[in-house]
Amino acid sequence: MYPLRRQFSHVGRLLQQSKLTATSEIEMSHFNQLASTWWDVNGPQRILHKMNLLRMDFINDTIKSHLKLNKGITNPEEQIYVPPFNVDNVLPKEIADRINGEQEIRRQQLWQQLKLDALDIGCGGGILSESLARLPVVNRVKGIDLSTEVLEVARQHKELDPMVREKLTYELKAVEDLDPKTEQYDVVTMFEMLEHVNYPAEVLKAALRHVKPGGWIFISTINRDLISWFTTIFMGEHILKIVPLGTHTYDKYINEKELGQWVEDGHENPDLDDLRKQFEVAGSKGCVYLPCYGWKFTDNAEVGNYFMALKRRE
Amino acid sequence: MFQVIRRFATSVSNVADIVIIGGGPAGLTLGTALKNSPITKHLKIHLVEGGQIIEPLTSFLETPPPNYLNRVVSLTPSTIGFLDSIGAWSHFNQERTQSYDDIVTYDGVSGARMNFEHPNIATMVETTNIQAGLLSRLNELNSQQEVKLVIQEDTKVISIAKDSITQWPTLQLSNGDSLTCRLLLGCDGYNSPVRHFAGIESRGWSYNRWGVVATLKFADTEFRFPTGWQRFLPTGPLALLPLPNGYTSIVWSTTPELAEMLLSLDETEFLSMVNAGTRLSTEELSMIYDLAKSKSPDLLEQIQWRLNLFADKLKPADEEDFPLQVAEIVTGSRARFPLKLSHADTYVEDRVALVGDAAHTTHPLAGQGLNMGQEDVKSLVEALERATSRGLDIGNSLALEPYFSERWPKNHVLLGVVDKIHKIYSTDFAPFVAARSFGVDVLNSLGPIKDFMVGTISGNSKR
Repeated sequence: MYPLRRQFSHVGRLLQQSKLTATSEIEMSHFNQLASTWWDVNGPQRILHKMNLLRMDFINDTIKSHLKLNKGITNPEEQIYVPPFNVDNVLPKEIADRINGEQEIRRQQLWQQLKLDALDIGCGGGILSESLARLPVVNRVKGIDLSTEVLEVARQHKELDPMVREKLTYELKAVEDLDPKTEQYDVVTMFEMLEHVNYPAEVLKAALRHVKPGGWIFISTINRDLISWFTTIFMGEHILKIVPLGTHTYDKYINEKELGQWVEDGHENPDLDDLRKQFEVAGSKGCVYLPCYGWKFTDNAEVGNYFMALKRRE
Repeated sequence: MFQVIRRFATSVSNVADIVIIGGGPAGLTLGTALKNSPITKHLKIHLVEGGQIIEPLTSFLETPPPNYLNRVVSLTPSTIGFLDSIGAWSHFNQERTQSYDDIVTYDGVSGARMNFEHPNIATMVETTNIQAGLLSRLNELNSQQEVKLVIQEDTKVISIAKDSITQWPTLQLSNGDSLTCRLLLGCDGYNSPVRHFAGIESRGWSYNRWGVVATLKFADTEFRFPTGWQRFLPTGPLALLPLPNGYTSIVWSTTPELAEMLLSLDETEFLSMVNAGTRLSTEELSMIYDLAKSKSPDLLEQIQWRLNLFADKLKPADEEDFPLQVAEIVTGSRARFPLKLSHADTYVEDRVALVGDAAHTTHPLAGQGLNMGQEDVKSLVEALERATSRGLDIGNSLALEPYFSERWPKNHVLLGVVDKIHKIYSTDFAPFVAARSFGVDVLNSLGPIKDFMVGTISGNSKR
């Protein structure tokens, strides 16, 4: 839940010293504690593991629902019928089922042909990065984070699974330090990240540079409202203590409307080089954590936690 | 075709995503369903079976045995629907299956009866037919796909341990190989070694009863629609389940003593005993058991005389309340198996899941055992599909928990209900008999409740 965000980390150098100074002893034990609990599904990071399920659902559903079923098919015989209305309410059930069935088959075919490159910004211990790497449609994944300890956790863990070992790489880098010419991705993710940085707009701008045409940015963060304060800070940190004290700062929460507005502002910016002009908000979904059950999608993205997808034009 | 790995000169270390231990109906259904699903078909799966199955099952379909085998199960429409959805049902030898619309249960002491009617309420299928059909479908799927499911037959698991670094289960096999996997699925029966490896406790008790099975043929006296019969005797129920062409598979659940007696009778005596069991009063039966145990030469005569008396007293209108008499037996089809109740404390642990008899066993009186296992498979495959499409490590408990939370409570209830039915009918103490008979009479006339019961027996399928 809390990728340690220290821009200038001295810890890496300290750990390399053969002498164990007092400072590095604390850091070592802190690292060891992190390492052992980050990936414990029943441990302190359980909420994060549960949220990962929704993250993957959101990514899968968003990309699949935006696949162009008749892309590149000019022969009308081969085209799939995509009516401009919702068939389920208008046509008889059998016909609606057939139309939906054909669409689903084509959608599956197109989905299975994808070969996506993904960048996970603020990857932490690698929970999302590994899930992405395991998908057959994902070609490779790069995870970046600014904390050496947490990256070490991620690197060690990926060695345990042959399915992710080859497809996944980790780098200790900030997104603004990546080369936009060579580091281009189909999918860029920034989950539970924006509410922890000091200049979210700058980080977002930097992230936009790494999205291929037709590619995606997936974001999750928290709205700045009473419900969020109640659930994530009051209940989460103070009462139930499921989240370490001080993880979240209320002023840093970003409203869904504000994010959408930020993209709009780019469209209206007279500066033609503004990358935001190429992006649209493709969808957003709220979610809420129910103790003993897990995370659940809600219809209201303007209250509490939420996901958002931005798509770049082809 | 299959990649059949037999003995290697040098030991090989294999790594798979899933290892299924057990080539019975549970293991084969699981393997077939996983290969059939577009979401999980790319996973590397091994199925390890201690006995030889490929040749016997293949030849079952190519040259079907002349007689019906004595291991037969009753499949619910829900189970058949599932087998059909994975493309396996059409590979079964359909001619050897018998669907029926009627189930009649009657009290051995009071005669109170219940009649369940529903089109295709259940279908009798030989266990070997199920396995053969699944293997055939697996063959078909393997030929269509790049990543093939590997069957290692004639291979026993010597030991299971956790890899010291990755914690993945590693098996030492009897052919010298070792096999490491992300997820180990125990479809290995009541004594499941996988369950022991995972440290999962199983609780229950032995019923101190044996199920005596045999394949018999009804006398060719008149036409009857295929019906499932079950008479609840105080020592245990006697069930006659329909097979094609006038044959019937019986399951007589009874005390160890009586089971031994039944197996020791010659064929004619045994047939008479079964006819007695479906018709004569419990007092008469007691007397007949004593005659049989003392190996009296009058046994056959006594039974016949009493059966004639019974037939004389029977009104023609009531004839259809009893099954036809049995007249032939398939030699060598008599066998017995011990009956016990068991339920594992949990179905999932880190990198391990249990399915079928490894997870639970029950009394055969309700015909639910194998069907529960099939529902387990369906639920587990759905959980694995979901986990795979989310990119999860399928061995992780987060991926497996939905299977446990969906199946355990339902199985627990069904096991409990069947157990209570067994207990209720295990007595001839008059007040209990009166109470249960009254209950049965009432239930039999309450339409909505019976519909509900029929729905539950047949697995609530929408077929």
